[in-house]
Amino acid sequence: MAGLTLKHVFKRYENSGKKKQQKNDFAVKDLNLLCEQGEFVALLGPSGCGKTTTLRMIAGLEEITDGEIYIGERLVNNLHPKDRNIGLAFEDYAMYPPLNVYGNVAFNLRAKGVDKGEIDKRVREIAPLMQIDDILDKMPVKLSGGQKQRVNIARAIIREPELLLMDEPLSHLDGKARQSMRVEIKRLINKIKCTTIYVTHDQLEAMSLADKIAIINFGVLQQFGTPSEVYDDPVNEFVASFIGEPPMNILETTIIKDDGTFFFTFQNSNLKIAVPSRYYSVVSDGFRCKMGVRPMDVLVGGEDSKGTPEEIATFENLGDERRIGIRVGDMLLMLITEDEKRYRSGDIIKLEVREEKTHLFDIETGNRIREQG
Amino acid sequence: MARIQLENVKKSFGKVQALNGINIDVKDKEFFVLFGPAGAGKTTILNCIAGINLPEEGMVRFNGEVVNLVDPAHRNVAMVFENYALYPQMTVYDNMAAALRSNLYKTDEETIKEKVHAAARMMKMENLLERLPSQLSNGQKQRVAMGRALVRTPNVFLMDEPLAHLDAKLRNAMRTELKEMQANLGSTCIYVTHDFMEAMALGDRIAIINKGEIVQIGSGDEIYYMPCNEFVAQLMGDPQINILPGEIKESGKGYEFCFQANGQKLAVPMPEEKALFQNIRRAGLKETDMGLRPQNVKYSFTPKEGYFKTTVYSYESIGNKSVIMADCGDYQLRMIAPNGLKIQIDQEIYVSLEVDHSMFFDPQTKEYVSRYDEESIRAFAVEQEVR
Amino acid sequence: MNNGKKRLGYAVQNLLLIIYAVFALFPLIWMFIISLKSDTQVFTTTFVFTPTLSNYKEVLLRSDYVSYMIDSLIISGGAVIVSVIVGVPAAYALARYNFHRKEDLAFQILSFKFAPEILVVLPLFMIYQKLGLYDSYLGLIWVYQLISMPLLIWVVRGYFEDISVEIEYAAQVDGYTWYQIFFKMLVPLIKPGLVSAALLAFIFAWNSFTFPLILAGREIQPITVAITKYLGTDTAHYGQLAVAATVSAVPAMIFALCIQKHLVRGLSFGAVKG
Repeated sequence: MAGLTLKHVFKRYENSGKKKQQKNDFAVKDLNLLCEQGEFVALLGPSGCGKTTTLRMIAGLEEITDGEIYIGERLVNNLHPKDRNIGLAFEDYAMYPPLNVYGNVAFNLRAKGVDKGEIDKRVREIAPLMQIDDILDKMPVKLSGGQKQRVNIARAIIREPELLLMDEPLSHLDGKARQSMRVEIKRLINKIKCTTIYVTHDQLEAMSLADKIAIINFGVLQQFGTPSEVYDDPVNEFVASFIGEPPMNILETTIIKDDGTFFFTFQNSNLKIAVPSRYYSVVSDGFRCKMGVRPMDVLVGGEDSKGTPEEIATFENLGDERRIGIRVGDMLLMLITEDEKRYRSGDIIKLEVREEKTHLFDIETGNRIREQG
Repeated sequence: MARIQLENVKKSFGKVQALNGINIDVKDKEFFVLFGPAGAGKTTILNCIAGINLPEEGMVRFNGEVVNLVDPAHRNVAMVFENYALYPQMTVYDNMAAALRSNLYKTDEETIKEKVHAAARMMKMENLLERLPSQLSNGQKQRVAMGRALVRTPNVFLMDEPLAHLDAKLRNAMRTELKEMQANLGSTCIYVTHDFMEAMALGDRIAIINKGEIVQIGSGDEIYYMPCNEFVAQLMGDPQINILPGEIKESGKGYEFCFQANGQKLAVPMPEEKALFQNIRRAGLKETDMGLRPQNVKYSFTPKEGYFKTTVYSYESIGNKSVIMADCGDYQLRMIAPNGLKIQIDQEIYVSLEVDHSMFFDPQTKEYVSRYDEESIRAFAVEQEVR
Repeated sequence: MNNGKKRLGYAVQNLLLIIYAVFALFPLIWMFIISLKSDTQVFTTTFVFTPTLSNYKEVLLRSDYVSYMIDSLIISGGAVIVSVIVGVPAAYALARYNFHRKEDLAFQILSFKFAPEILVVLPLFMIYQKLGLYDSYLGLIWVYQLISMPLLIWVVRGYFEDISVEIEYAAQVDGYTWYQIFFKMLVPLIKPGLVSAALLAFIFAWNSFTFPLILAGREIQPITVAITKYLGTDTAHYGQLAVAATVSAVPAMIFALCIQKHLVRGLSFGAVKG
C-alpha cells in the first residue's frame, strides 16, 4: 500500500485529423495531486473534464505528455500497467463469460502463476468481504448488476494492489442498488484501507464516499479538499454550483451603502440582504459581484420576522422536505424548509438569509472574493 | 381541456398482461401523476389515452365521450415522449411547428411563428430554433420535446418521463421550472414518472401503479403520510422509510412496541392515542411492521434516557443533509443527520424512535392499518386538496 | 523516441496496402490495356505496345453497342424502380408489424439470393415462352427484380428498425396521416440506406448474365449478353471485347463515385442487422 503523487502532469492528445485545434488544447493541464496512503480520493467533474484521462494516466493506459507520477516512492512514468501494482474496476464490468465467478476472481492470480492453494485461500478470504461467497460458482450472465460490480471489485482487490482505481463503477446500477452499493464500497475500503482513486461525475457519490475530493473542470484542478471543505468553502463559482443539490444560489448583485451598512441589492427585486461585516474591507458602494448562498441558509421568517416580504414563485412539496422558489430579477432563489406548512405560488413569505453564510464571487472570473486578513 | 376517464381498461401484449383493469378519473385542468417502478404499465396507460395502443377491454372517455375508436390524430392530445422522439431531419423550429402544419391542425405560418416563439421563450430556448436535434444536448432536446407539445392547445398533455434522461441536478432544476409553468398550461396534464420527488412536487393527485394495477390514488400528502401498504411507503421518501418488525403488547393501560436490535429485546412505550388504539384493537393487530421515516429517528453519541446502543453502519451525505445507518443486526435503521459530522464507521451510537410519528402495517398482507394523528392528517390532506 | 519506429510502421502499412490495391485492380487494368491494343499486339506484347483507339471506333461507332447499353439501362433501371416501389413498403412491414411467420418470410425473400440462377432459368424459359414474356422488357424486368429486391428489402428494413417507433407516434399525435408520416418523416430518414441499396441492386442487375442469355437475345440484348458477340466462332476480337467490357463498367463506376458518401454511410450505419 502506498500514496500517490502527481507532479505537474499534462496530457495533450495529438491530433492527426485536419481540425485546427487551439494551441493550449490540453486534456489535463498542470495537475498536482497528493494522496496519502489509505486515502479515498474522488476525481469529480462534468463529462469531458479530463478525470478519466487522469485515471488512465495513473493506470498507465495513457501516455503522459509531461510531468511525473509516483506510486509511493516509485516513479511510474515508464512502467507498463501490469508492473504498477494497481487494481482496476471499470464502469463496464467486462467479465470473462466462459468462467464462473470464482474463475473470474482468480483469473489474475492464475495468469501470474500463483499456486492453486494460495489462490483458493485468497478467493475464500475476499469472497465474504465482497458478499459474493454464495455466488462463486455462478456464471456471469446470471448475475445482477450489483453482483457483477461486486465481482468486478473483488477482481481488482484480490491482487492486493498498492492502489485501487475505480472509474464510475456505479453508473450502470439503478437508484436503489446504487445506494446500497455505495455503502458497501465505503465499508469495504474502510476495512482494507487501500489507497483509492475514484472517478465520478456525480457529486453525491463523491461527497458520500470520499475522504478528499479533487474537482476538475476543463482539465484543470479547481479545488482539492475534504467534502466539507468543498461544500462550505468553495474556491470559485464552479465548485460552489457543482457541489450540493439543489446547488448554491448564485445571484448577480450590486452592493450599496446605506447608513453605514452595506447591503446586497438585486436588479428588479426589492430583496435586500446585509453584507457580513467581515467583507467590509473588500466591498464598496456600487461594487458589483455575485452572491452565493446555499438553499439551506435561506429561511422563511415567522410572523414577527424582519425579513423582506417576497412572493413565492414555486412551491414543491417533496414529502421529506419542501422547496420554495423566489424570483429575484430573472433568477430563481431556492430555499429548503422542513416546516410542515404548505404554501401556494403567489403566497407572501418573509425571507431571511443567514448573512454570515453568504459567499462573494468575482463577476468576471467567478473566483471567490475573500475577506482580507 | 378535457376530463379524462379510464374505465376498467385492460391491455396485454402477447401473454403479458400490461394493464389489468385501470380506473382513473382525471378532472379537467388537473395535473395528474402516474407514479410507479419501471415496467409497471405507466407508459401503456398514456398510450391508451393517446390512442397509440388500443385497450382490449374497457373505455377511454374524453369529456364523457368514448374515444376508443378515434385514431391518435383526431384525439387532439399532445405528447412528450421519454426518448423525446424529435424528427431528426427537421430543425427545432420545424419540429415545434410540425403539428400546426398538419392538415388537421392547419394554422397559418404567421400564427405558427408567434406560437413557436412564445413556447420557445417559455422553455428558454429561443437561441436553438435553427439547430437540428443532433446538435442538441439531452437537456435541450428535452426542452424541445416539451416545447413541441406546448405550441398546441390540446385536450390533454401526456408527458412520459420527460425528465428521466437528465442528470440529477438538471432534472431538479427542470422540475422546478415545470412547476412554475404549470399554471400556464391551461389544460389537463397526465405525467408519468418513476421519481417520487417529481410525483410529489408536480401532482395535484398521484396514482401509484404497480404490475398493471392501481395501488393508491391521492394527493401527495395523503400518500406520503398514509401509504396504503409497505410498497408505497418505501417508494415515497429518500432515504427510504424504516420498517421495523415487532410486536404490540399491552402494558398497563396502554401499549408498548417490542422489537429486536442486535439480539437485544427492546420495548418502547406507545403514547396514548384513542383512535389509534381503537384501530389496533379492531384489527386485532399483535405482530406488526412499524414504519418510521428517517427524520423521526433521533441519535446521540453519548448514552441517554430512552436511547438504545448500537453501531454506525455508514454515514453519507445526500446533498444538503446526511444519512446515518445504524446497524441493528438483521436490518439497518436510517436516520437524518447534518453534513460534516466526524463519524467513524462502526463507532457507537445511541438511537431513539419517535413512536408518535409511526405508522403500522399488517406483517402478513403488508397493508396499512393505522398511524398516529390519522384524523388530523386526513383533515389536513383534504384541506390541501380543496385549496 | 518512438517517432522513427512509428514512421517505419506507417511506410510498411502503406506499402502492403498498395501491393494489395494493385493485385485487386489488376484485372481491370489488364482489361483497359488490352482495349488499347490491336488484335495482333494482344498476343505479342505485354506492357510495351503502340496504343490505338481503333477498337473503340469499331465498337462504339460501327456496331449497335449504344442500343445494347440502352437495353441494359431500361431493364436494370426498371427492376430497381419496381424494387423500390414494392420493396420499401415491404421492408417497413417487416420492420414494424408483427405477424405470423414474419422471420420466415423475411428469410424466404433473402433466400432468392442463395439459389443459383441456372437452377430456375430453364423452367422460367418455358413459362415465359407460354406467357409471351420471352424476349420482352417486361419479362426481363420481372426476373431482374429477383436480384435487386431481396438486397433492397434487407438493407432498408434495418433502417426502418433503427428509427424509433415513437417518432411515428409523435407524428400521429401531431395530426398526420400514415401516408404523410411515411413520406414526410420516414422516407427522408431512410434515404441514405435506400440510395446505397438501390445503387448496389442496380449494379447487380447490370451485371446479370444468365437470365438475359436464356430469356432474351434477339430483340433485346443487354450489354452482358451482347459482349459475347465479339467472340466469333472462328475469331475472337479480344480488343473489341475489352472495349465493350470497359465501357459497360463506366455507368456503374460513375454512379458509385457520385454517391460514394451515401454508399459508405448507408452500408455501414445500422444497415444489415437481424
